[in-house]
Amino acid sequence: MAEAQSGLPPLDLDAPRETPRTSIWVYLRPVWPFLIILILWQITAIFLHAKMGELFPYFGSIVFRGWELITAPLIKAIGAVADQNLLNQLKEAKLENLSDAGFLFQLYAIIFKNSLGFLDQLSHLSKSPLLWHVLATAWRLPFAFFIATIVGVCVGILMGRFAFWEGFFVPLLSVMLPIPALAWTPLAVIWFGNGDWTVILVTAFASFLPIAMAVWTGVKTVNPVWIRAAQSMNADKMTIFRTVVLPGSLPMILSGMRIGLARAWRAGVGAESLAGIRWGLSAGIFDAQEYLDTSFMMVAIAVLGIFGFLLEKVLFQPIESRTIIKWGMMEEMGGQDKKI
Amino acid sequence: MPTKIEIKNLRKVYDTPERKVHALEGVNIDIEDGEFLCLVGLSGCGKTTLLNMLAGFVEITAGTILMDGKTITDEYDKGVVFQEYALFPWLTAVQNVEYGLKIRNVPEKERKEISVRFLQLVRLEEFANLFPHSLSGGMRQRVAVARALAFDPQVLLMDEPFGALDAQTREELQELTVDVWQKTKKTVIYVTHNLSEAVFMGSRVVVFIPQPGRIREIINIDMPRPRDALSPEFIKIQRNINELIRDW
Repeated sequence: MAEAQSGLPPLDLDAPRETPRTSIWVYLRPVWPFLIILILWQITAIFLHAKMGELFPYFGSIVFRGWELITAPLIKAIGAVADQNLLNQLKEAKLENLSDAGFLFQLYAIIFKNSLGFLDQLSHLSKSPLLWHVLATAWRLPFAFFIATIVGVCVGILMGRFAFWEGFFVPLLSVMLPIPALAWTPLAVIWFGNGDWTVILVTAFASFLPIAMAVWTGVKTVNPVWIRAAQSMNADKMTIFRTVVLPGSLPMILSGMRIGLARAWRAGVGAESLAGIRWGLSAGIFDAQEYLDTSFMMVAIAVLGIFGFLLEKVLFQPIESRTIIKWGMMEEMGGQDKKI
Repeated sequence: MPTKIEIKNLRKVYDTPERKVHALEGVNIDIEDGEFLCLVGLSGCGKTTLLNMLAGFVEITAGTILMDGKTITDEYDKGVVFQEYALFPWLTAVQNVEYGLKIRNVPEKERKEISVRFLQLVRLEEFANLFPHSLSGGMRQRVAVARALAFDPQVLLMDEPFGALDAQTREELQELTVDVWQKTKKTVIYVTHNLSEAVFMGSRVVVFIPQPGRIREIINIDMPRPRDALSPEFIKIQRNINELIRDW
């Protein structure tokens, strides 16, 4: 014990400590840029209102339009089972389209004047147009992405393993990669007709290209010392490929799939607007252009953003944290820990 | 002791598009079964090339390597410990040790038993289920030694395995390697540029000189183990090797 000589107060390193609490502001921090944009939006809307009216909607109108797109069937059903007085009031609220008052009134109706059962409410909510737009866009995506991943991984492996296929595909893919998927879409519409399949094909094609390129790079750049280690233990070529090359190139394969998914999302959203499809967020946006329904367009754009963001968070982060982050392979690649 | 590996008149020329490099010339060594042979020399003297030829990573230009009287093929069983960290990051420590057994289709139960035993040998049984990235450099190389030995290879080839470690860890691992060698009675061929390491571990030390890489002398080290790196005899041998390497 040195405390007697030093004259400093005694030090107890094992004393219980207060665990620092993470402030709620840490989680809310990414929100403030959106608040700034919102305020700027609102000021602009005030100035432009006289000239453009609903063509440049207030933020409140956009929120109300979103609310309406989700709850319209439910409100209608509540109105149908409630007294006539309420129905009239609801109609009035909707007709005037006073966003704030209408919103509050509808919220009041759903909470207090609602005699529907839970399942009934769900079934009415499931008829909401926004949900159908989202679903229409969303179901094509995993389908196309699945095809793209299978084909992309196979082609990438072929390129990484055989010089012949490398020589065949690398020039082709390098030229194809910079072509935006949207450029192919009118051609695809003529060849395959209007409809879901055209969108799926265009989406799959757009997302297959970066996946194949990334898998190829991954297979080619596996740490050679791992391969030597397996060779020294007399693993045959197929075993080395299965147990060393594939897991060793997983970081590149995943990053290829991440880029592929991002491209699929963009390509799919673009293509659906050109392929004569009724349902789908982007199809809806093009539709709304005809009716000058700017609020709908803003709602759909916001949903596109949120959906794409969630796709990345929900699909890739769990896979990555269970594999390459757990194995410490992100740092080895020189990449950063993607936790933000 | 019978001869395990016979190296006769070995020559290596690297033929690259830019130039030819004469890496090894006239190398003759008889490696005894169960001996600890250290290869030392300055950089570029061909010691790693010789090890890579023994491992089958590099082709022989001329001469022969016989193992148990027969020309070596790529397929003989050798354990290799590399200077770089060569563990598979997607496998845990014990799974890494199991790898060589797994590709030999050893049944799972036996595989587990053997690999745990080898992890005990390198004193890492507590860390069996950790992934390599959460192990320190010294621990990783100990797992690598266990992995290289677990499938019972004929020889253990080590290429400056502790070169990247700090001095204290290196000493600890030198003692551990000697201990493992004495327990397993494997033939070990160990490349290093650290003379004290060679004298501490080797039963013989092969001194290489460069341009072209060739053997200057093979020195028997009869000092009893464990050796004291500060004893006058140890320092004398080390000084002798140092002179052999530098003045030629």
